[in-house]
Amino acid sequence: MTDHQWQVLAAPYALSALAQEERAEFEGHLAECETCRGEVQAFREVSELLAHAAPAAAPPPSLRAGVMRDARRGRPIRTWRRLVLPWIAAAVVVLALAAGYGYWAARVAQTALRTALDSARARLDSTSQLIAAILDSTVGTADLAATGKPPSMRLFWNRARNVVVVAAFELPPAPTGRTYQLWAIKKGQSPVSLGTFNTPPGGRAVVTLRMPAGLKPDLSAVTEEPAGGSRQPTQQPFLVGSWQGGG
Amino acid sequence: MHVAFRNPRSVMASQNDRPAIPDCELVARMAGCDERALGELYDRHGGPVYSLALAIVGERADAEEVVADSFGQAWRTAEQFDPARGSVMAWLATITRTRALDLVRARGRRARALTRAALGNSEGIAAPIAPAGEAPDRGVERQEARRQVARSLAELSEPQRRVIELAYFGGLTQTEIAAELKEPLGTVKTRMRAGMEKLRGSLVPFLSRGGS
Repeated sequence: MTDHQWQVLAAPYALSALAQEERAEFEGHLAECETCRGEVQAFREVSELLAHAAPAAAPPPSLRAGVMRDARRGRPIRTWRRLVLPWIAAAVVVLALAAGYGYWAARVAQTALRTALDSARARLDSTSQLIAAILDSTVGTADLAATGKPPSMRLFWNRARNVVVVAAFELPPAPTGRTYQLWAIKKGQSPVSLGTFNTPPGGRAVVTLRMPAGLKPDLSAVTEEPAGGSRQPTQQPFLVGSWQGGG
Repeated sequence: MHVAFRNPRSVMASQNDRPAIPDCELVARMAGCDERALGELYDRHGGPVYSLALAIVGERADAEEVVADSFGQAWRTAEQFDPARGSVMAWLATITRTRALDLVRARGRRARALTRAALGNSEGIAAPIAPAGEAPDRGVERQEARRQVARSLAELSEPQRRVIELAYFGGLTQTEIAAELKEPLGTVKTRMRAGMEKLRGSLVPFLSRGGS
């Protein structure tokens, strides 16, 4: 900045009208520039005279006593407003914070409730669909077991909806990187994948898979496959059962 | 010399029945805990201080609070008053303006000057010059200063006067004024500078170094 550019800041500085950054910069310059200090002094006097531009008004006579009382205490007057207002202000802040917290807490609780409700609804819906899928005159079943010992599975095939509900019992989770895969087998044809599934540690699972339309399998079987499943079984099935009923 | 307020003659002229104690002597006595000096200072300047406070805060109750605060601060800090830096009234005005703007901000309100500017009130803070019925100032010299300031402000263009009033009575920075008036910042800066230069020129008799 040239000297002139600095000098034009003297008037707004004296009016305390410079933005914070500009003020700080100018004050840095003032420390080094006597000309600008003189300018500031002159404009400060001009701005101090602006107090005279205030329309004349008479203070109430009681104010003098207040000013004197203040001086006697050596600290500002305590009118009732100044005693009470800070407390009111503090109370308002506390109430606002409490209300804000309350509102926030209510929002959180409401969101949690809504989430819980939504998931309960979703569970109910899926349970209803599950029951509807199973309780249907078109449903055929298949019991998959290996020589009567656990694990075992029962399949419900809703022909109208082309879904298979898989209920697994005492089937331990597949090893890491592996998955279970359910197959539909029509005698004399290659097995068709109905999809993959896994079980939780308890060994019980209910899973709904899709049955390709038009497929009329005689058997279903379960194999353990690499994660993601295989196009064709890579090993002998450990559970096999034939489809019954439903027509 | 700061002719307007420092000259003891002004005190003598207006208060014939009182001893002519200069303002700065009163402040020195205040520093020595002389309550009568404070009373005297209030009697001399309470009116203008109250007027200034009212012009900024806009409400009488708030203005009273500002006045009490300001004289309280003057009482507590009398020791720090430096006559070399300006008149007692200028010192009181600075304290009062700061206190008043603080109060306005603390209340989360807009200073009166802003409300007026927002209403497009073109008469400005300074009008009327000498309202009838309101406390006439005691000092002849002060009345002269009031008249000269009013006259000088009236000589400014209305936009120049407005930006200066928004800064002084509204406590706004140039950036804030530009936003308030929806004018370019450069325009506001130019107006403020030009207005202040004009005021400086017309108020030379009241400035300590002839404004140079």
